[in-house]
Amino acid sequence: MSDEPSEIPQGATRRRALMLGAVGASAIVSIRPALAQVSASISTCEIQVPDRARAGKYIAADGTPVPAGTKGAFAPASRPFTGQEVKQALAGGNLPGIEYERSQAYTKYIRRLQSGTSGFTCFASLQMPRG
Amino acid sequence: MRHRFDVRIGPVGFRIGSDWLGPITQLEELYRDYPEPRDGIPDFTVRLFAARPWRRFVRPAITIAGDYTIPDAAPLPLAQGLLAAEMGMNLQMALAQRRYLLLHASAVERDGRALLMTGESGSGKSTLAALLSARGWRLMGDEFALVDLDDGSVHAFPRLLSLKNEAISVVELTLPAARFGPRMEGTPKGAIRHLVPNAQAIEAMELPAAPALLLFPSFGFVAETRPVPPSEVFIRLTQASTNYVALGERGFDALIRIVAGVPAHAIDYPDTASAVTQVEALWDAL
Amino acid sequence: MYRAAAPATLRIVPLDDLTAIYHRASGITHLVASPVPELLAALSEPLTLVRLAKRLGEEFYLSDGEALAARLDELVASGLAEQL
Repeated sequence: MSDEPSEIPQGATRRRALMLGAVGASAIVSIRPALAQVSASISTCEIQVPDRARAGKYIAADGTPVPAGTKGAFAPASRPFTGQEVKQALAGGNLPGIEYERSQAYTKYIRRLQSGTSGFTCFASLQMPRG
Repeated sequence: MRHRFDVRIGPVGFRIGSDWLGPITQLEELYRDYPEPRDGIPDFTVRLFAARPWRRFVRPAITIAGDYTIPDAAPLPLAQGLLAAEMGMNLQMALAQRRYLLLHASAVERDGRALLMTGESGSGKSTLAALLSARGWRLMGDEFALVDLDDGSVHAFPRLLSLKNEAISVVELTLPAARFGPRMEGTPKGAIRHLVPNAQAIEAMELPAAPALLLFPSFGFVAETRPVPPSEVFIRLTQASTNYVALGERGFDALIRIVAGVPAHAIDYPDTASAVTQVEALWDAL
Repeated sequence: MYRAAAPATLRIVPLDDLTAIYHRASGITHLVASPVPELLAALSEPLTLVRLAKRLGEEFYLSDGEALAARLDELVASGLAEQL
């Protein structure tokens, strides 16, 4: 198909341009639930690495839980992380007291948390935009 | 629960149960002038409990629960019991309130009209509400503004005001005769001290007010004011509401009513004295 | 062919250069920019892409034909229109 030709007949009024935007752009914003307004609770919620259901598993460099002792994987975290600590790590910082590569593996694990795994609600709440 | 405290704040009744006496004693003292829940029946219950039996005594840590909870919330030390109770009440409102549209905003009233201030933590909405209450404005609340789904009026919800860090001394100096809770250090948000709303706020707790001005304050900038267009107000208020989505079309209608009928401005301010001047100038210009 | 959601399910409130839409069928609120309101109005009856472009062209000068298909995909993905 093609656009209508842009010639304007004598006496006709000029049509308003309808900007259709770019192919990759968006014209619709949909409102998502804002659980993160419970701000005080968010900063005190905790995430265990790995979660309780996978206790004892090691964390591979790409964030997947693997059998304990797997070569190149990291042992579980010695304590749970607070929402505040995870928020900083997701923004590019390091989880406290942990060296860079281990922190990266843990952070990838946290990003992969699926609904139903303990720790997900805390993680989900960290992701919601705040006003 | 060994110990219990019931209180009504605005239209909402709470029951707080606790494994420890300390937080209940503090609540009873600070909320001593507040009424009881209507007909003695609370709308929400908060529980402050020890996750393990020995947690009542050994490095005592309070786990917050209630009718509605977020799992995986870390416990608070017993010294911050008052904070735990307030957070528990916030949680019940945020997760389950359906009779009003909740806005994360402070509200003060003058001549039957309400001024709402909304923004993220640190924007100054609680501090400004406290300072305005020293200048003749009636405090309606600092955490949640309750918007009536039928007529759009704002209902007061005057909980203890939560002041943080530098704001604590600013308000202590401005309101030397006010009642305060204990100063708590090392909370997830730094130092916190609660301010008890004054007699005027408590006595007028059941009087709603029509929203007349909506402000988005930002602290730490050169003083400036700009109007905020309706679509931006709409988006920012959906993000400032914990129950907008759950309310469906009634929530949409209530929000449209605000967006279409209440003038909105963003104010940048370098210090609270400047903010108070800017706020009152905008109000007088209405 | 494309068709807008039934009028009874759409509560449309223009604000400024953006329009708020509450979609009763899904309970989702959308904030939309032009050309979404114009597209929804044109799609009150089912139209193919070609006919839609022609219908719009009677009232507007269309800036870029390719983007029309992208806008329609977005409308369908949001639930505000359907592809028959």
